[in-house]
Amino acid sequence: MSVIQRLSRLLYVLSLVLAASGSGLHGRNNSVSHEYCVLGAGPAGLQMGYFLSRSQRDYIILERNTGPGSFFHIYPRHRKLISINKIYTGRRNKEFNLRHDWNSLLSDRPDLLFQRISQELYPSADDFPRYLSMFVKELGLKVKYGADIGRIKTSDLNGNQGYILTDQNGVSYQCSVLLVSTGLWVPQQVDFLGSDLVEGYESIPTDPEEFKDQAVLILGKGNSAFETAQSILGRASRIHLYSPSPVRLAWQTHYVGDLRAVNNELLDTYQLKSLDGLVEGRLEDIAIVRREKDGGKRRTLYLTLTELLDDQNGNNISKVTGQNLPGYHTDNFSLRQPYDRVIRCLGFRFNFSIFDGSARPPQSSGARGRLPGITACYEGRGTPNMFVLGTAAHSRDYRMSAGGFVHGFRYTVRAVHKILEQRYHNIAWPATELSISQLQSWILRRVNEASGPYQMFGVLGDIILLRGSYCEYLEEFPLQALPQLSALSGRLLSDHGLLVLVMQYGLNQTDTLGPGRAESEWTKAWRSNFLHPVLYYYNTLPTEKDMRQRPVSWPLPRPEAVHHMVEDFLTEWDQPISHSQPLRHFLEHCLQTDLRAFYAESCFLLSLTSRTPPLFCRQGYLRKQGIVGNSHLWQHAREAGLMADHQGDTSVSEYLKHAGAAVVSAMNFDL
Amino acid sequence: MHRRGNRTMCIVYLIAFLFSLTSEQCSSKLIEDSSQSFMERMHTGKTSFIYFGNHGETLINVLQMIAEPLSQCAKLSKSHLSDQHISVSVNCSEDAIANYCTGEKLMTKAYLFRGSEVLRSFDIDTVFDVNAIVSHVLFSVLFNEVRYVHTPAELLRVESAAKQNSDIVVGHIPVLGLPEHRALMEAAFVYGTKYQFVQTTGTLVLKHMGVVDPSSSQAWLWFLHCKGVSRRSDPCPSIPMRKPLNTINIHTFLQLMEAPLTEAVLDPSDVDVVHMHLGVPVLYLFSQLQTQQLDWATAQTLALQLRGEVGVVVIHRDGPNVKTSLKYNAAYRLPQEDVKYFTLNSAEGVVKLFKEELLQEHKFEDEEEDEEHWSDLDILDDEVSESVYRDRDLMLDLESVIELTSDTFQITVTQNDITVVLFYFKWDAVCMAFIQSYIEVADALEGMNGVKLAAVNCGEWTDICSDHNVTSFPTVLIYRPMAAAQLYKGMLGTKSLHRFILLSLVSNPYLLSSSAEVMSFLEGDLYSKHMYLTPVRVLGLFSSTHDMGVTSFEEAARLLRGETILGLFAHKEAEQWVEGLSVNLPALLVSRSPGVPYEVYSLPSSSPTDLVSLIKQVELDRFPELTVENLPWYLELGKPLLLLFIGKEDSTESMKALAEIKQLLSSGQLDSFLPCWIHLGRTPVGRSILEKYLGFVPPLPVLVMSRLKTGEEVFLFPPERPLMAKNILQWIHDVENGQEQPAGLIPDGKWGPPVPFFDFLAIMDQEAPTYAAQRAPKMKTGGREDHREQKHGTPNQRQTPHPSPNPQAPRQHSEL
Repeated sequence: MSVIQRLSRLLYVLSLVLAASGSGLHGRNNSVSHEYCVLGAGPAGLQMGYFLSRSQRDYIILERNTGPGSFFHIYPRHRKLISINKIYTGRRNKEFNLRHDWNSLLSDRPDLLFQRISQELYPSADDFPRYLSMFVKELGLKVKYGADIGRIKTSDLNGNQGYILTDQNGVSYQCSVLLVSTGLWVPQQVDFLGSDLVEGYESIPTDPEEFKDQAVLILGKGNSAFETAQSILGRASRIHLYSPSPVRLAWQTHYVGDLRAVNNELLDTYQLKSLDGLVEGRLEDIAIVRREKDGGKRRTLYLTLTELLDDQNGNNISKVTGQNLPGYHTDNFSLRQPYDRVIRCLGFRFNFSIFDGSARPPQSSGARGRLPGITACYEGRGTPNMFVLGTAAHSRDYRMSAGGFVHGFRYTVRAVHKILEQRYHNIAWPATELSISQLQSWILRRVNEASGPYQMFGVLGDIILLRGSYCEYLEEFPLQALPQLSALSGRLLSDHGLLVLVMQYGLNQTDTLGPGRAESEWTKAWRSNFLHPVLYYYNTLPTEKDMRQRPVSWPLPRPEAVHHMVEDFLTEWDQPISHSQPLRHFLEHCLQTDLRAFYAESCFLLSLTSRTPPLFCRQGYLRKQGIVGNSHLWQHAREAGLMADHQGDTSVSEYLKHAGAAVVSAMNFDL
Repeated sequence: MHRRGNRTMCIVYLIAFLFSLTSEQCSSKLIEDSSQSFMERMHTGKTSFIYFGNHGETLINVLQMIAEPLSQCAKLSKSHLSDQHISVSVNCSEDAIANYCTGEKLMTKAYLFRGSEVLRSFDIDTVFDVNAIVSHVLFSVLFNEVRYVHTPAELLRVESAAKQNSDIVVGHIPVLGLPEHRALMEAAFVYGTKYQFVQTTGTLVLKHMGVVDPSSSQAWLWFLHCKGVSRRSDPCPSIPMRKPLNTINIHTFLQLMEAPLTEAVLDPSDVDVVHMHLGVPVLYLFSQLQTQQLDWATAQTLALQLRGEVGVVVIHRDGPNVKTSLKYNAAYRLPQEDVKYFTLNSAEGVVKLFKEELLQEHKFEDEEEDEEHWSDLDILDDEVSESVYRDRDLMLDLESVIELTSDTFQITVTQNDITVVLFYFKWDAVCMAFIQSYIEVADALEGMNGVKLAAVNCGEWTDICSDHNVTSFPTVLIYRPMAAAQLYKGMLGTKSLHRFILLSLVSNPYLLSSSAEVMSFLEGDLYSKHMYLTPVRVLGLFSSTHDMGVTSFEEAARLLRGETILGLFAHKEAEQWVEGLSVNLPALLVSRSPGVPYEVYSLPSSSPTDLVSLIKQVELDRFPELTVENLPWYLELGKPLLLLFIGKEDSTESMKALAEIKQLLSSGQLDSFLPCWIHLGRTPVGRSILEKYLGFVPPLPVLVMSRLKTGEEVFLFPPERPLMAKNILQWIHDVENGQEQPAGLIPDGKWGPPVPFFDFLAIMDQEAPTYAAQRAPKMKTGGREDHREQKHGTPNQRQTPHPSPNPQAPRQHSEL
């Protein structure tokens, strides 16, 4: 973005602020103006509200219901959240603990955590709106409840695209930036013959007694399907799950949107042949037909194929005969028995209907078009100044990472807020300036505690802009927008290049529970299957083209050099031989400098006998901050042959000689 | 063993083995000398290797074996040694040569004579076998021809002498007397007149030659093309020999160095070049009349690039015997293989072809070495990490240090007069090395009122560390109630921190109200109270408390808390202290220790931070003893060092040398230098500095000039001259006029990565070729999802694609 553009944007925002302050007088009931409008007071909207309020922006959160997080008053239907609320981690590190707290939102209040509301590992759904209410109240977020926005259209605000939102009372909200965090509310439906005979997840009874001795067919194999199945397992006679793709287990795919083991009891009853089962097939091909049985006392539903109903021109469903059913043609057809109920559990889609023409973002290419299409910085495609947050923004990392879930999108929201600050207020992405000799320990710190890159693996990564003797450390940048780093972050690149730190799962080519699933040799770290840190080094910023052509399943293009830190059973990457030293060697290669640490005595020697001593001595010792050590440690270093020994008349200095093989711990943890 | 009394028992074994080195004929004999023939031999002036013994059968066998290799050398050689004889004798007589036959020397020594002069004596231990004897004998004989170098500086000197004159062969021999040593010596024996031979055992030279891992006890050989350098300032291009060091390989290598490019008018298969005989691939390039010059230039470039590995032959097409098809312009022939023809597109292509494909065997070997090298990578190469790692079973006793948490931090830091807080990471070796010192300080201060040492583990209490903006580890902050935290900026060691904390307890500045108190502050009771912390006192003198500078000075004193003891005398009597000096009030008075004359500086009105730097500057000693702790302060001055090294025992000579330099200093003649000294007793690392400067440690005291910032040369005050003021001045003068030869060099080595890069990308490319490759441009990125929906047909039960583990089989837990 050019300076002029940026300036004009700034002016525009300023003028809006002025307009907003004036609007209260003449607008009254009809028109209100805000710099930022956040649509929806769910977790994403409130999270963004917090950041806007912290940076003291003019914002309003619009919510149609009377309280926050109303989705959770209904869903999940069986009222158990499957997001982990691990309150005892053995650690007191607040950042680290967020790795295992999937429900809390981010704030600077250390105690504003979900565990204040619930101590359950899988809490009750009712607790979540309670938590959100607490969040709103304690942080004093500006939420306007009862404002049901029915229509959103674009409007020209001083040459920039803005948005006008109209609620049920005809009040309109003029917004220069619109942040859509409406979540996914509209049940996903598939049109087939007899779909009117199908009940929806959103409206089924939750009392298991209502399913007593019933045969149930559930369309879908996601968490809602299994949750439904699990709740009626003790009452229903037969539960079959039908959908196009086989069950994908979250513990195999590392994608939390896939079937969580919390809900998978039906897998057990299926595999132990206890009447339940899973079947794959296209949804568009099926039809549900009703046949009267027992003299019309019981409704019985059959699954059949559309093609079997096509024999005559008119499809008269009331006159279904045996020939219209697949069991007539294939005697062992799996779903040949009738069902008492058919339930649709196919997930939800984004509500596109409230957006007027030019304000409507396109449908995403992935996720079966259920989500709005957005750019790498979460701006709607073709809808400038409108950003999508929360679950609806999941198209960027659908089936890849956690951007569709609270524990993931709380970080994306933070990243988007930083982008907003830069774009509209010229406040650069926060960066920590570090001397190069501190870089390694800073990376280790992030790797061992940071929750953002850990939860949003492969999507948010730390960027290290190298600047010679120092570097700038930017946290949690959206990697897919890397080519626009300078414009989005307001941080310029130097010709020293940059490093990107990403957490990644591995190739995942082995059996998740089978032998050889874990790698412990650091030299084979790139074969790690579990979440592990990966560093990419680029001379120059990758271009959009590099990004498009990146290797299959990589989050980033092929770099100049890459370093995988070997996966760790305890996710503690702090061991000297397997973690620190290989990392240091990688950094040494990227920076083309020796990053070893030296005791003051060695620096003394090197300062007097070489014109430029090693970096550690330059940035420590020569700035009078040398690490002295004691005779006990020097003794170790001398025995290892790493430190010069000045006793006696050694003719040749054995300095820097490797010796004294360190015995690598070869402990065997086999159980 | 034979004792003195057994002398007569010495049976004369005059077994001499003599071989004449003539260019035509090699005759070598093992001769047994009698005392008479021994005396005669002494007069011939020839070289003999003589062993005096009696029951020397074993050695005789060895000596007989020597005849063979030495005569082989002689055959190869048209050496200047050819007119000499090297006889190897074993001899002991009853009478005349008793000197060599007596006592313990008998049987334990062998001697090398030139005429009657003993060139060198050897312990039998060092001449343990044929290789050892040959190498040592030759090394002694060739003492003048083979230069022994120890440091890169010495090598550079040999190089600069040889430039435009002769090429150099450098051999690195890790252990003397092994076959490699012998091979090098034999080569020197043969080629000694042609090339300058250099032998080294030092790892320093290895590093200088670019060997990555100087610790491996491998022998190395380089050829330095010094003869052909066009300008004397150019470096000599060096080529390492990549094969094991033995006579044949050295011979081959040297031959290749000589003849990189030949011409022929024959078909490749008929060309006979030395390379074929040496088992080296040959590259043939076809040249046409029209493009002859161009072709020749290309050939020369290639020959240079492939020198030592591939021979290059230019074949002129116009020759009637050249029948090669015109579609080829080049060919190569590997040893024991047929000629293969190809078309050459670029010189780089050929180099690539050879380096990456045809010389595969080499590459293979390299890779094997590499793999061994990686296992070395599991050894820590960082002295701090390694020393901390070796303590990994040591439980740190943190009793005397309070471990702070988010809950206790605020209370603790406001409870004591001074709370010292260390911010550290457990995984950071530097932090963990420092924490040992920190505990030592805490133990030393235990029980002291008002001081508490605490620590914050930032791996756990990350919020405290972020809140206090700690971005560098370890960090030490000093907290006082109602005051901003002060950053400890000193050395991270026990002594420095301990002193800092104790000094922090001293109120700064000391407010002095009378001249008597000033006196007490400078050398009386007030002084001795803190004498053990620092001998230096700095006093601010102002004519009245209303002086503008007083507040500034007080603020500076606060900033210098823990570092300097400052006094403030704002009084009308202050004038007395500068009386008779060319300085007016306000002034700064520095007392280095009682009895030493004060130094007085005028005190300009300036900001507290400027005052701080001024005070720090005047505090510096003008003739400091350099120590590990104080060097950075002095290096900052950026002056060339005039560095006096003093031995452990404070000899009168050392004292005199110190006095002489002090005298020069006070006369103001050393102003452009930083005169300083190192006491090797207190700072033993000084010995290593001398070694690095000079390659050896000369008798102390020794004066050295080192221009760290401006030049790379180190000059040594001639040890034979007495260290007197006027000699020193003269020497400095000579150095500045370029009349002194440097005694050593300070390398401007770039501190690059200490180990070769472990390239994951290369491994991926090898093991999973497409995994790390960028996608072809046509592919769409949207394809990452696998929409494999069932196409058609009867829906049926399908098994999940993941094979489930057999529940009967014993569970294999393979997490590790």
